[in-house]
Amino acid sequence: MKDTVTLPPHAQALLHTQGPAQRRALAKAITLAESTRADHRAQADAMIDALMPHTGGAFRLGISGVPGVGKSTFIEALGLYLVGRGLRVAVLAVDPSSSISGGSILGDKTRMEQLSVHERAFIRPSPSAGTLGGVAEKTREALLLCEAAGFDIVIVETVGVGQSETTVAGMTDLFLLLQLPNAGDDLQAIKKGVMELADLIVINKADLDAAAATRARAQITSALRLLGLHARDGVDPHADPYPAVDRPAPWRPEVMQLSALEGSGLPEFWATVERFRASQQAHGRLAARRHQQDEAWMWQRIASGLQQRFDTHPGVRARLPGTLQKVRQGELAPSLAARQLLALLDGGPNPGPA
Amino acid sequence: MMESLTQQMADEAWKIIEEVDTQGGMTRAVDSGWAKLKIEAAAAEKQARIDSGKDVIVGVNKYKLAKEDKVDILEVDNVKVRDAQIARLQQLRAARDAEAVKAALAALTEAAQSGQGNLLDLAIRAVRLRATVGEVSDALEQVFGRHRADIQKVTGVYAAAYDSAEGWEKLQGEIAAFADTHGRRPRVMIAKLGQDGHDRGAKVVATAYADLGFDVDMGPLFQTPAECARQAIENDVHAVGVSTLAAGHKTLVPAILAELKAQGADDIIVFVGGVIPQQDYDFLFEAGVKGIYGPGTPIPASAKDVLEQIRRAQGETQAA
Repeated sequence: MKDTVTLPPHAQALLHTQGPAQRRALAKAITLAESTRADHRAQADAMIDALMPHTGGAFRLGISGVPGVGKSTFIEALGLYLVGRGLRVAVLAVDPSSSISGGSILGDKTRMEQLSVHERAFIRPSPSAGTLGGVAEKTREALLLCEAAGFDIVIVETVGVGQSETTVAGMTDLFLLLQLPNAGDDLQAIKKGVMELADLIVINKADLDAAAATRARAQITSALRLLGLHARDGVDPHADPYPAVDRPAPWRPEVMQLSALEGSGLPEFWATVERFRASQQAHGRLAARRHQQDEAWMWQRIASGLQQRFDTHPGVRARLPGTLQKVRQGELAPSLAARQLLALLDGGPNPGPA
Repeated sequence: MMESLTQQMADEAWKIIEEVDTQGGMTRAVDSGWAKLKIEAAAAEKQARIDSGKDVIVGVNKYKLAKEDKVDILEVDNVKVRDAQIARLQQLRAARDAEAVKAALAALTEAAQSGQGNLLDLAIRAVRLRATVGEVSDALEQVFGRHRADIQKVTGVYAAAYDSAEGWEKLQGEIAAFADTHGRRPRVMIAKLGQDGHDRGAKVVATAYADLGFDVDMGPLFQTPAECARQAIENDVHAVGVSTLAAGHKTLVPAILAELKAQGADDIIVFVGGVIPQQDYDFLFEAGVKGIYGPGTPIPASAKDVLEQIRRAQGETQAA
């Protein structure tokens, strides 16, 4: 049985304090989880493990969309709506770091002015670079820390670039894609994979052009239909030899429109989220999704751990330049080169000169 | 020669005008934040050219005086001014016809709502009855809402224009070394406190620091010291840099130091940039400020000092 007495001070404060003291403890705990230092990472892993019994209580909402779609404005409006209903809301925003300098400018809070000063809100922007494993590990751990601190809703925000959507969808209960009303050509630009991840698609800025928003909604809905997006529980109904009589209908991604700027459509949006949540919970899908995610997380940590072990192995480091040279010059088959390098990891028999 | 230069300038200007036109006119361009972003990018570029000595300003980055003479300035005690203003306001409110003011403001709100009537005329009527500017704008805000400056960010501009590489790369190396030692990059929040909306300098510093490898948090405009301290704590920054151009530093800077302490985070250090009279330096240092960077300080020099101060603060707290 895990005992809270053995927890480090920050984690203790996370569980047992409130207000500014808890805010500070949560901030420090997230910093620890984000650290690239090996000893910090070990401490963070131990801390998360000890806190596990206190996690899982929040609803995890992932939000993505292209720059300019109004993510921050949406989160400000939604967050204020939720804290207004007495809920505690944490926002984890991932800002891209410059690939050149490694530095970043984190300006999200300037667009969440009212939410960022609300006593029931916590907003933490994090730079995307500079940690082992990138966005995934640190944000997932920060999410668990927010849960341990008793937040009811944890929102994870990411810019829709690279693999970040997949990562965020892989750690949340509901993945929301924000869209602009001027779909048309833009629709082509939505990556098919991202559409498949979305549980809910919201067309923001519907106030700008109601007709365009309605059109976009129709287009996206039919695109979803074309993509044949059905089951969200990973079961393909077509492959099911038994008719789904005793099986509850799976959630189908819905498309809605609203205006975050004007705050219109928010109650309807949240009602849909609640409906999703209820349907997921009723059929045990919420728990199943989280179990799958936990498993995937473990595999991901194993993969990154193996990669790191490979990268830092002295034998590999010594052999790598020569082997690379041979592969480049076509003297050694890439597959054999890989086999030889991997063999060094388990200190196996020296494969000898190639 | 002159003609070709004039032509060049005209051509460049025309390009900008065309860019504005494609966005649907200047009003749109201002509204979208495009114009402000352009100004900020130009400012960052200019600052980089000054800091690297490519643009010469005599007395600032060349032929500097060995010793700057003290300039006599009018010392304004802003606490006293504020108290006096509050007293006058209370007097005004006590003396005016409260019912008439209320009615005038209500008429203003109603006109804003219905779109009927002349808002300027109604505003002047309210002011003649001694409604304050704040009350008039509150009356309009009920209908129109409040404008929120969309803070956008430029990156890479400063580094591109500042290419006297030597000191720059060395500093980048030191920042990378810090990240190795501490498990993360030095994280700095650039804040604007109180009634001081001049944020171009703050933006220039933010983009330059990010180009150097800092993680930089931008605070919103018009933040209170308590809000600023909260953001600094929540984001767990190493340092807060207060940019001050409206002479509020003697009140606001001690206030942010006190707030950090009150919220349990006196390991977060505070530095100040902007227009600060030499006479106030000692006062601020005594209050606990770790660095003051006035006009003419090259940004890399301030960054180097900030890094040094952060290192020291981290070392001290770790040893303690």
